[in-house]
Amino acid sequence: MTDVLKIAVEAIGQDTLRVILGLIGVLILVVINALMLTWAERKVAGHMQRRIAAKEVGPFGLIQPIADSLKLLGKELITPMKVDRVLYFLAPVICFIPVLVSFVVIPFGEGLQVRDINVGILVILAFSSLSVLSIFIAGWGSNNKYSLIGAARSVAQNIAYEVPLLLSLLIVVIMVGSLSLKDIVEAQKGMWFILYQPIAFLIYFIAGVAETNRTPFDLPEAESELVAGFHTEYSGMRFAIFFLAEYTNIMIISAVATTFFLGGYLGPYLPGIVWFLIKTYFLVFVILWFRWTFPRVRFDQLLNFSWKILIPVSFINLIVTGGILKL
Amino acid sequence: MDTIADFYPVLVFAIVAVIFTIAPVVISYLIAPRTKGKKTYVTYECGIEPFGGAWIRYSILYYIYALIFIAFDVDVLYLFPVATAYTKKGNTYEFYTLLVFILLLGLALVYAWGKGVFNWKRKDQ
Repeated sequence: MTDVLKIAVEAIGQDTLRVILGLIGVLILVVINALMLTWAERKVAGHMQRRIAAKEVGPFGLIQPIADSLKLLGKELITPMKVDRVLYFLAPVICFIPVLVSFVVIPFGEGLQVRDINVGILVILAFSSLSVLSIFIAGWGSNNKYSLIGAARSVAQNIAYEVPLLLSLLIVVIMVGSLSLKDIVEAQKGMWFILYQPIAFLIYFIAGVAETNRTPFDLPEAESELVAGFHTEYSGMRFAIFFLAEYTNIMIISAVATTFFLGGYLGPYLPGIVWFLIKTYFLVFVILWFRWTFPRVRFDQLLNFSWKILIPVSFINLIVTGGILKL
Repeated sequence: MDTIADFYPVLVFAIVAVIFTIAPVVISYLIAPRTKGKKTYVTYECGIEPFGGAWIRYSILYYIYALIFIAFDVDVLYLFPVATAYTKKGNTYEFYTLLVFILLLGLALVYAWGKGVFNWKRKDQ
């Protein structure tokens, strides 16, 4: 095995090999993560409502997501007559780009990172702004009233929660003095940043849940009032791609929270990647848990909660942190 | 490391993302059945005939939030280079600069609050 690696390194260079292997690993991770999360979502929901949830296909229903995705692959691709065809086809493609690009800079373990870009977190933030664009394109291109209302709500949510998200990450950046995710993890060798900055962690997590359109901030796809929101007109495989992106987004939000506040891959005894996955999936579980705990917020509550509470608190937090660093 | 070497993985990942989303749709297009019902391709509207199109003008009440957001987002982005250059201990000048910048931003928030941007009135009142 090591001989094969050595020959490959000599043939195409270490950096290229790292990108290729990283890409394969990330694609496998994305697919398995989405399959497992659809299963986990149903299991968590089921047990919280004292039901059993999926159990027929395979042990504990573990094969169920694969059966579901094969079924979706065989479904007819319906493109309604009145849609804007270019935008309608483009939306699922755009929604997946930010999701995959974010994995370039996330450190899964010591050295297990595709590339340590020195402006790592800016890459994630810049690309994640694209996802709201894809939602709006999907909503507008569908020429459906539910889709359009869902898309307009999604934009509102994004403009309310991006500022607190940026500010809470900024607080960690100001403590470390670097935008590279690896440096941020290494700076937490002594103490996790959640202990220094519990408020920033809380604000980041709330804003992150809002950015992924999960309950209690699921207004863009509120199924009880908007059918399915922005993806009402999407069916079959295109619908599956939206879901793949959504579940991967949940994981990315949790992975960034782990990297910034929970010490990333640092931990005793076990290898780094195991610690990273334990912390990340604990946060993912919390997000799934939210869905069956909190009711959906109203639209004005959604906007005002961010502008009246999260942003002022973030500002005060930033000033206090800046002051303490100078002491 | 130069910039191109740093960012080509980003480009590679973006291209693969495009392929990764188009491929399953193509496979599905090849194997999925096609029906041709009378109403198969009609826009969905809870089972009734669609009542007009969706491309209409309607009031977006939160547009003032959007205007404040633009100002805030750009200003917060200015803080990222500040955060990387911020030194620990000593040099309190940096802290006062940061303080003035954030107070000015906070003033914008206070102004919007005072103007009643964050109050939602009922339409019928």
